[in-house]
Amino acid sequence: MGTFIAIVLAAVLTNNFITNKSYGICPFLGVSKKTSSALGMGVAVTVVMALATLVTYPIYTCVMEPLGFGFLEIIFFIFIIASLVQMLEMIIRKLSPSLYNAMGVYLPLITTNCAVLGVTELVIGDMEAIIGTATMNIGWAVLYALFAGIGFTLVMVIMSGLREKLNYYKTPKALTGFPTAMVTACFICMAFMVFSI
Amino acid sequence: MNILEITSQTWITLGIVVGIFAGSAILIGALILIVGKVFKVNVDEKVTKILENLAGANCGGCGCSGCGGFAAKLADGSGNLADCHVTSPEKKAEIAKLLGIELKDEEPTVATVHCSGTAENCAVKFQYMGNPTCAGCNSLLGGNKSCKFACLGCGDCAAACPEGAIAIKNGVAKIDPDKCVSCGACITACPKKLIGRIPSSAPVYVGCSSLLKGKEVISACKTGCIGCGICAKSCPNGAITMVDNLPRIDYEKCTGCMTCAQKCPKKIILSRKIAAEKVEEIKSKPEQPAEKTA
Repeated sequence: MGTFIAIVLAAVLTNNFITNKSYGICPFLGVSKKTSSALGMGVAVTVVMALATLVTYPIYTCVMEPLGFGFLEIIFFIFIIASLVQMLEMIIRKLSPSLYNAMGVYLPLITTNCAVLGVTELVIGDMEAIIGTATMNIGWAVLYALFAGIGFTLVMVIMSGLREKLNYYKTPKALTGFPTAMVTACFICMAFMVFSI
Repeated sequence: MNILEITSQTWITLGIVVGIFAGSAILIGALILIVGKVFKVNVDEKVTKILENLAGANCGGCGCSGCGGFAAKLADGSGNLADCHVTSPEKKAEIAKLLGIELKDEEPTVATVHCSGTAENCAVKFQYMGNPTCAGCNSLLGGNKSCKFACLGCGDCAAACPEGAIAIKNGVAKIDPDKCVSCGACITACPKKLIGRIPSSAPVYVGCSSLLKGKEVISACKTGCIGCGICAKSCPNGAITMVDNLPRIDYEKCTGCMTCAQKCPKKIILSRKIAAEKVEEIKSKPEQPAEKTA
């Protein structure tokens, strides 16, 4: 139970992917103009993160590491995740066209999003700081990936809500649009710093 | 077993790595191929061809969820090709050929503000001291005018206009039809959705957007449309229909007789006041081919 709480808190708040690790900055700044699209992007990233970890973690621990080519992890993971997203898109398109219309546009965008690659890399690396003495297994890995995605969604929604509100205010011409988004991002990161002190 | 411990020579290691990659590439490629075959979605060939000819801007200006949705609508006959303002005329002709329909000559349009709630017509409920944008004003109790459909006059449309064609006169935006290029920037900028496109040659337009019933309109605005329907009954060409307490003018049927403008008890059907020769000049352009065939 302690490990469970530690993983959830670490993934969502203290080690949040956007504000603490600076992963997934491209969707964070690019798709956060509207809350609906930010939420769609967040859900898509969460699903892909959990699925990618579910596939890459056993491949790494059962095949790559025992056979001694663990050093190829980055290239191999990009390879696996890209084809996984491709297949996921095909399957969703066939099985649920409405879900495809809602989420489909975001799937190709996150083919190898840095946040997705980041979580698969993190769970095979040193997780001792988070899980303590418990042994790492696929259950913890997928749980960490799932809640990292939820943390990502949380920050995306906060950011998009603030940007929607900021549209109502006249800002100096030089600061209108993207510069304001950068300043907003800075404030969100500062707010999340409180959790990691 | 560690496959890289078999050899200490670099080139063999390299060969093994390349072999691993080639093997897994073939494996994953085959997997994608199988998934693609199993989960194949049959897409109408017509839709693909239409999609190739569309501009691909995915602007959503047609009201669909993107060019893909518009292409699907066109293919099943429920979409109107004229709704797309981005695709070039040549590409549109190509699509029309695919669909087996004739492409109509499009008359140029201008944007018009459908509101006459100036300071003397529409009372101000409270002094708005906030951020001077329409969006900001609208977010506070729906604006400070007594009519909730009225132009707020803070000039979001004027700021959005790339041609400088919009000016705020007496609290209501006015668009200069000579400068307007019908780009639609003001239409998206207006939080009250008061701006619409009408043909350049339109002789009359409705100067009100209130969907409320007569009594409520009278209490809010001196000149607002009360939805009495006299214009629709008096129009000799049947060009006017009443929708949601507002007259909708079919400009293809309108001849510019001005009966509606004279009969309107609130004088809210407004004359465009274009010089007569100019109307002739604009109207004669699309009518030329029709005369030849007749």
